[in-house]
Amino acid sequence: MSEPKIKLNTEWLSVCGGCHVALVDLHEKIVDVMKVIEIQRSPLLTDEKGYPPAQIGLITGSVRTDHDREVAKAMRASCDKIIAFGTCAVYGGIPGAALAHTAEDILDRVYLNNPSTDSSKGVVPNRLVPKMDAKITPLDEVIDVDLYLPGCPPHAAFIFDALMSLTKDRDPRAKEESICAKCNRLMKKTDVSQIKSVMDGMPDEDTCFLSQGYICLGSVTLNRCAAPCPQNGVVCTGCAGPMPQILTEPNRDIRTEVAARMSALTNIPPMDVVNEIEKSAKSYYAYAMASGMVRNKPTFLIEKWIEQVEKV
Amino acid sequence: MAEVLIKKEACRGCQICVEVCPTEVLAFDEAEQKAVVKNATDCIACLSCTYICPSTAISQQDFHSVKNFYRDLDFSVKAKRYL
Ligand code: SF4
Ligand code: SF4
Ligand code: SF4
Ligand code: SF4
Ligand code: SF4
Repeated sequence: MSEPKIKLNTEWLSVCGGCHVALVDLHEKIVDVMKVIEIQRSPLLTDEKGYPPAQIGLITGSVRTDHDREVAKAMRASCDKIIAFGTCAVYGGIPGAALAHTAEDILDRVYLNNPSTDSSKGVVPNRLVPKMDAKITPLDEVIDVDLYLPGCPPHAAFIFDALMSLTKDRDPRAKEESICAKCNRLMKKTDVSQIKSVMDGMPDEDTCFLSQGYICLGSVTLNRCAAPCPQNGVVCTGCAGPMPQILTEPNRDIRTEVAARMSALTNIPPMDVVNEIEKSAKSYYAYAMASGMVRNKPTFLIEKWIEQVEKV
Repeated sequence: MAEVLIKKEACRGCQICVEVCPTEVLAFDEAEQKAVVKNATDCIACLSCTYICPSTAISQQDFHSVKNFYRDLDFSVKAKRYL
């Protein structure tokens, strides 16, 4: 007789939905998964609306509304092991970038003063929608989380390995490796002396973006994606969240680590890189700024940086 | 004795490790455009190369790890639970 299947529930909170689509990205590998795992409830894949008891629970997204908080608790109560799945669930992710604004600012921009939609009725929806919190809360500040799988979304190979390691009770193979480790560009010494915007010129295809003066977050970002961006002509924006050394060491940060490497490769002074990243901090810190691990760093001064840019 | 290992396929050839090493353990192979271990026995396990390497290509084995009490304790515990 075959072993009973491991039961899985999934749920989404405030998200884009991409992480659930990534589950389906397993393609034919999903057949192997289904041999050992039974997907009981999953917003994209099954009709089940309740929370039947399960061994594994995948939660994508962060907590922004009353509804998010309630369903997160229902998942915790029904599942033995909860996995924070995707950057939103691990660090707050893209919705976490809203930390840079108040809830009122956001509602005003979306419903009342939005340049691309008709907002002449002046109505902010308040019926049949859950109440929005004043700020984003990462999942593990609301419920206990057992395991973390960052990535926006995590690449199917990492999802498959994570699920299989859980069913076989072995350690996952994923390592603490940066995006640069999987990039195919060569880091060359150059005499570039100015930072370029991604709109400037046409970057060389074989040379590291840092060598060419473009800020790339590959060296400060954990690989859970197999580095598609720098291998296809686009800088890494850090969507899988920071490397562990940035999260554990108070004196290391996204801006200082990138500055040290970029200035060693080029003639760009390190403080130019630091200043440039602070000037666009809402983008460079977008994915992990809601997490206490970044938000509570004494050197993370997002309010000051925003004020400096907006008063100019 | 501390042992320095360089993962060749991960090395992006930036040479920063060669520049930061205080004891000239590392050298740069121009033909391959990769860092190599030249004077393995001189390594004092300061980990400067490991920290600065952009591509996590360098690792150390057999060294005494000093406990950093200033680390973010919460995250250090969480880091063990990453998939
Ligand atoms: S982590 Fe990225 S892909 Fe996943 S839900 Fe959040 S924004 Fe979407
Ligand atoms: S910094 Fe970016 S372009 Fe350079 S090696 Fe790393 S990922 Fe590739
Ligand atoms: S932005 Fe960076 S972390 Fe995100 S998918 Fe691209 S390479 Fe990966
Ligand atoms: S650990 Fe220190 S001494 Fe050893 S190779 Fe690296 S930089 Fe040199
Ligand atoms: S620091 Fe890392 S990527 Fe740069 S040369 Fe040394 S091993 Fe290679």
